[in-house]
Amino acid sequence: MLRVSNKRCIRNLAKKSFKKSKTRNVIAILAIALTTLLFSSLFTITMSFNEAFQQSNFRMIGGYAHGGFKHLTEKQYLEIKDDPLIKEYGTRRVVGIGMGENLRKNHVEVCWCDANDAKWMWLNPIEGRLPKEGTNEAATDLEILRLLGVEPKLGETFTVPMEVDGKPTERTYTLCGWWEKDPIVIANMVLIPQTEVNDILDNMGVSQPALDGMTGSWDLEVMLSNSHHIEKDLNHILKNHNFQSEDKSQEESYVDIGVNWGYTGAQFTEHADPMTILAIAVLLILIIFAGYLIIYNVFQISVVNDIRFYGLLKTIGTTGRQIKSILRRQALKLCVFGIPVGCILGWLIGIKLSPFIMSRFNGLVIDTISVNPVIFIGSALFSLLTVYLSCVRPGRMAAKISPVEAVHYTEGNSHKKKQKKGKKTVSLFRMAWNNLGRSKGKTFVTILSLTLSVVLLQTTVLFTKGFDMDKYLADKSVSDFILADAAYFQDNLRSWNAGESILEPRIIEEIKDHGEIKEGGLIYGQTADVVEYAPEDWVKQKMREWGNTEEEISARCAYASYTKDGRILDSVHTYGMEPFILERLKVYDGDISKLNEPDNRYVAAVYSEGDYGEFYKNSHWAKVGDTVTLRYVSEWEIYNLKTGEIYASEEEAGDQQWERRPRTYRDETFTVAAVVTIPNNLSYRYYGSDEFVMGADTFQKVNGTEDVMLYAFDAKHVAKMEQYLHQYTTKEEVRYDYESKASYQAEFKEFQSMFLMVGSLLAFIVGLVGVLNFINAILTGILTRKREFAMLQSIGMTGKQLKVMLVYEGVFYSLGSVVFAFALSLVTGPLTGVILGKMFWFFSYKPTVTPIFIVTPIFALLGSVVPLLVYRHVSRQTIVERLRESEG
Amino acid sequence: MNILQVQNLKKIYGSGENAVHALDGVDLSVEKGEFVAIVGTSGSGKSTLLHMMGGLDRPTSGAVFVDGKNLSNLKSEELTIFRRRKIGFVFQNYNLVPVLNVMENIVLPIQLDGRQVDERYVDEIVQMLGLEKKLDSLPNNLSGGQQQRVAIARALSAKPAIILADEPTGNLDSKTSQDVLSLLKVSSARFSQTIVMITHNEEIAQLADRVIRIEDGRIDVRG
Repeated sequence: MLRVSNKRCIRNLAKKSFKKSKTRNVIAILAIALTTLLFSSLFTITMSFNEAFQQSNFRMIGGYAHGGFKHLTEKQYLEIKDDPLIKEYGTRRVVGIGMGENLRKNHVEVCWCDANDAKWMWLNPIEGRLPKEGTNEAATDLEILRLLGVEPKLGETFTVPMEVDGKPTERTYTLCGWWEKDPIVIANMVLIPQTEVNDILDNMGVSQPALDGMTGSWDLEVMLSNSHHIEKDLNHILKNHNFQSEDKSQEESYVDIGVNWGYTGAQFTEHADPMTILAIAVLLILIIFAGYLIIYNVFQISVVNDIRFYGLLKTIGTTGRQIKSILRRQALKLCVFGIPVGCILGWLIGIKLSPFIMSRFNGLVIDTISVNPVIFIGSALFSLLTVYLSCVRPGRMAAKISPVEAVHYTEGNSHKKKQKKGKKTVSLFRMAWNNLGRSKGKTFVTILSLTLSVVLLQTTVLFTKGFDMDKYLADKSVSDFILADAAYFQDNLRSWNAGESILEPRIIEEIKDHGEIKEGGLIYGQTADVVEYAPEDWVKQKMREWGNTEEEISARCAYASYTKDGRILDSVHTYGMEPFILERLKVYDGDISKLNEPDNRYVAAVYSEGDYGEFYKNSHWAKVGDTVTLRYVSEWEIYNLKTGEIYASEEEAGDQQWERRPRTYRDETFTVAAVVTIPNNLSYRYYGSDEFVMGADTFQKVNGTEDVMLYAFDAKHVAKMEQYLHQYTTKEEVRYDYESKASYQAEFKEFQSMFLMVGSLLAFIVGLVGVLNFINAILTGILTRKREFAMLQSIGMTGKQLKVMLVYEGVFYSLGSVVFAFALSLVTGPLTGVILGKMFWFFSYKPTVTPIFIVTPIFALLGSVVPLLVYRHVSRQTIVERLRESEG
Repeated sequence: MNILQVQNLKKIYGSGENAVHALDGVDLSVEKGEFVAIVGTSGSGKSTLLHMMGGLDRPTSGAVFVDGKNLSNLKSEELTIFRRRKIGFVFQNYNLVPVLNVMENIVLPIQLDGRQVDERYVDEIVQMLGLEKKLDSLPNNLSGGQQQRVAIARALSAKPAIILADEPTGNLDSKTSQDVLSLLKVSSARFSQTIVMITHNEEIAQLADRVIRIEDGRIDVRG
């Protein structure tokens, strides 16, 4: 192949012809900016989600350092901390664990840490400061202060009982600062100066290493240059200093490392369910499509209009490839202007929208806004891709044009159609109609582009309108209010925990004393040690469903505990329910009222139900009339899962795989009186064990416990009660929380409005793209026909007639797309309805045409105003000027 | 009877030193049924003169009377309506509407005027110009000569007072030019039409009843 250096010449041509098409450039830049805007707002929201998810993980973990080296000696610490791979480091020395009645429920660490470490654990005093070295100052969180009964006042002294390397002691400190405890963070911290750490160690006679291998040791938390391969980097650092983390038996060189799994594992993007990923993919394709429709159209029109220019280039020897490159160059140049604008605007929109969407997800950090460069790089790349795709066809067309044809080329020079049956009548209406037919491609793409936004709006409204509050609340609105420990309601982070989340009787009394209660009932939660004996096949089947292999299953069954009739031990959850609650269960078989009989021995077997209320008949083994044996365990036996060897304690079993079985116990037998399902918001809200319901009396007698899980009740004045409960659970008893019908309704409305807003915004922006496309089509359509119009006027068409014709054309476009969208929604509406109904159980399809009615007048206006404005501009030139202008 | 009267017509483009006198005082009259050719080199002002006569452009001074009406007294929209009733145009590049077929193009001026088409009359024109078989064709599928015949038919269809032809054979080869011109001449004779044609082609001009020469915006009296 002959290589000629013609780059410069092509560049020059591209530059010159770029300058010529100013209007096209403005429209193309706007189009590219809008497309990029859509991409970058989508990415901003996704990335913000990802980071919020990560943040939430960090908070659960308790910090956002990349990783760390644990339990170092001072020598190891000093050696490792200045490794060049470590960008920043923080140090912490834990000296004691908080003890005593008040701190029983919390994990409290008494420690010293440096400023970095405190920052990475969000220990930022909202009042005061971190403790100073050489003093007896301490800083801690408000929860600890509350538990210790200390008033948050600087200079206040308080005593912290603690265990130091297994030995109890207590120390008194002067309060120098405090912060709010993040409810998601598990551990509480009492920060003290390092001098105090040393003093405690000296006093308690703890030398390094301590007996537990931890007390007083150095924890080195580090930030690396990036978070991509934390574990590898940490090991690399260890290797630099001849340490290792693999072999624990090599005590001299062994160092324990910790990787912050908030960075590595659970990214939202990895965690996202297929539906979310699909939704993002669909959105991406939609945006590419919307962008393609306009950018392609703009370029296609511009190529058609400049076809003589390209033909001329061809004539004088420009190759097709060079012509394509001229076009691409121009497109790239337009991107340089369009993309940055779009990126920034899209990011700003994303910032505004993210918190709104994220508030719908429990436990996400809402104020997380991503500035991840991926947003900008990603949107730029996707925009470039769209622009590139859009240029392919116009480029091919420009490249293929033969020089001779180009001279004769006029828009609508259709080779397919040679004849047109016509009556001897011409009306403006028909002329306009024929004009649209000149370039069917352009007309189609423009109409499609406008249609897209209408369909999007239509779908959004269909979607949100279809949200069925009754369906949504059916399962939830079993009572006006449910009161329980806050943990009970936190489905994704914590859950009801037998020992800790009990609703204290005094709380129930206080609520009852407040009056206003119409009716209510308690659910007692299981706090006793109890197991069931279930058919072996059933238990094995369940293990298979949880993903255990056959080997694992037979190993588990080998030394497990069996009854004489061959039933195998399995975990169980039992409820004790008062009549008010029992009435709210769905009974599928049997008679639930037997559970209320005095001194009965009945239970109800709890089956499960799908989102659509379908009964899963294989979700439990017990049928009405079956006998159920519950074994109440007072002492457990620890045994080796594989060998069956019996250990004295869990400690003795150590690292071995052990299991436990009842050693001393009493058996209680019941008869299944009914088969029921429990509404989700009255259940334990987690899965895995077979569940049985007893009447409240039977439950208390058999279990010997009176621990309440929740109190469900109806109020006389719902609004008043809501107010009272809100006040009560946020100010007085913050450990407790409540759910109400109104809060479900609010939740529902919020959910609905989120979709409505995001969907409408998307439809609006896509609509802008469509309108831009429309303006371009009308504008170029009129500009290229300037001479034709002049000719029409010279043979006697009045300006008014011309305007009427143009308005017809515009209205054909805009109302055409409305009609098209309407037809499309007739077809796709029910289909979308079915799909959405499958995706969202509370969705029921309700046909709607409201959005189309709303859009129609707007589009009609648009269709008439745009052509008139453009024509006004054109008609400034006289007929003769126009006739002459394009003759050349 | 003078169907067209031009009196001391002047058209000046620009002003001061840059002023171009496209027409510098033209006097001209054309009788009904006459076929007049205006000949001049490019830039002589002949096109400008034609535009003035057709009411497409307004003169700097002077007056044009068509069928006794002073064009300068008409407002823009009135002028357009006058034009479609009284003047038929034939352009060098035919200027047919690409989306309309031949028949639709021919009757367009009548229908723009909201009048009934005189079918017998139009059929006669079509016959005479030999377009019977092309009535359903779109203009882009016709040869140049055929397109120009359609343009002539269009000009005739509204029964105008005068047909103004602007280099009607400019894009045609000489054989076709002869054909088109004789058709123009024959048909105008048949319907007693008045034709003013501008051209730079002397040979073509000779077909006219009268040849007027124009140079530097003035009628060349020697002609």
